[in-house]
Amino acid sequence: MTEKDLIKQLQELKEIKPNKDWALLTKRQILPREESVRHSVFNTFAVFQWKLAFAPVVSVFVVIGLFGFANTTVPGDFLFPIKKAAEITQVGLSSSAEKTGVHLKLANRRLEELSGIAEVNKVRSLAPTIKEFQDNMTEAVNGLSSMDSATFKELVVETQKLEENKQRVESVLGVQIGGETEEFENQLVGYLIADLETRTLGEDEQKLLAEAKDYYAAGDYTLALEKIWILSNPSVSSGQANK
Amino acid sequence: MSQLQKQFGKIYDKYIEKIYRFVFLKVNSREIAEDLTAEVFTRGWESFHDNKCDIKNPQAFLYQIARNLIVDHYREKSQRQVVPVENVTLPERGASLEEQAILTSDVWTVKAALENINEDYREIIVWYYLDELSVPEIAKILNKSEDAVRVQIHRAIQALKGEVGGV
Repeated sequence: MTEKDLIKQLQELKEIKPNKDWALLTKRQILPREESVRHSVFNTFAVFQWKLAFAPVVSVFVVIGLFGFANTTVPGDFLFPIKKAAEITQVGLSSSAEKTGVHLKLANRRLEELSGIAEVNKVRSLAPTIKEFQDNMTEAVNGLSSMDSATFKELVVETQKLEENKQRVESVLGVQIGGETEEFENQLVGYLIADLETRTLGEDEQKLLAEAKDYYAAGDYTLALEKIWILSNPSVSSGQANK
Repeated sequence: MSQLQKQFGKIYDKYIEKIYRFVFLKVNSREIAEDLTAEVFTRGWESFHDNKCDIKNPQAFLYQIARNLIVDHYREKSQRQVVPVENVTLPERGASLEEQAILTSDVWTVKAALENINEDYREIIVWYYLDELSVPEIAKILNKSEDAVRVQIHRAIQALKGEVGGV
């Protein structure tokens, strides 16, 4: 037998192979979970395991979805309490100096919601939204006394926006939605005038302050606020003086 | 199934035939070859699992386990020989009927010759001509130089050739 024949015969020994059933069984014994897991993918337990594994992720998505959806709700809606809870948290997390500003923003949000409610004629949401607006305004009024004089100015723009929104809503609905706004403006203008009186003002500024005081005395808080806002913004103030 | 199990499952599928054949040609018994091969992969899986699959050459690793187990097997076998004859179950020699049917008479002659040559020569012939391991791969398993392996392959085939002539 030549070497070539010998090698050829040797290679025929490749036919020596393990029994397939034995090979499979041995594999299962060594790696027991391999087959069982493959076959139990649809078992109840496996599905339960999957559910457990995804539970935190699903929970996060559900919460995000709920908050996202709740954000579009208005007072009286089923999911509004979630939105309300988020707002309470927002107020709770803000400092005492910021709380009035937050309540004012929330009151503005209620007014915007009232505009939407009026557009779609969602009558049942009207009363709860007005109530929420009034509550926010009451909270804002209560918070004014604990505010720092330096932060009063920050409320002026939000208050002006609130007044505009309120007038628009009242004209659409044809109803008065509470005197809390006037009370808030009354107190805010009072604090602002008192603060300005302690400062050294130029001639134009003194003139503006005098006008604001006149409007305040006459009960026209909106115009008084406008004069104070002009006084507090030097660029606007100088423009007014030039006129 | 864990990623480790998947990886070792692939290694198992790839090398089960080679390892079984390697063991079978050394112990010449299907039952013993199956037992030892199963043990090779069990130990392989344990090491693979413990080392977090950090085994660079699984083939060389499995052959090394197989070699050690075969050595242990023969050591135990030689120890058993001191037991009184009436208590000894003689190990199976020769291939099963099924295996005999697969192999032609010429191949059977070669197989018989293979059993009679030096253990190291048999090992290297199986690796090189049957399992088609390269010279560098064999050199790694044996921890020898490639030149030394080439020389040993040459000597092994000559020894087999001589044995076939003598069978």
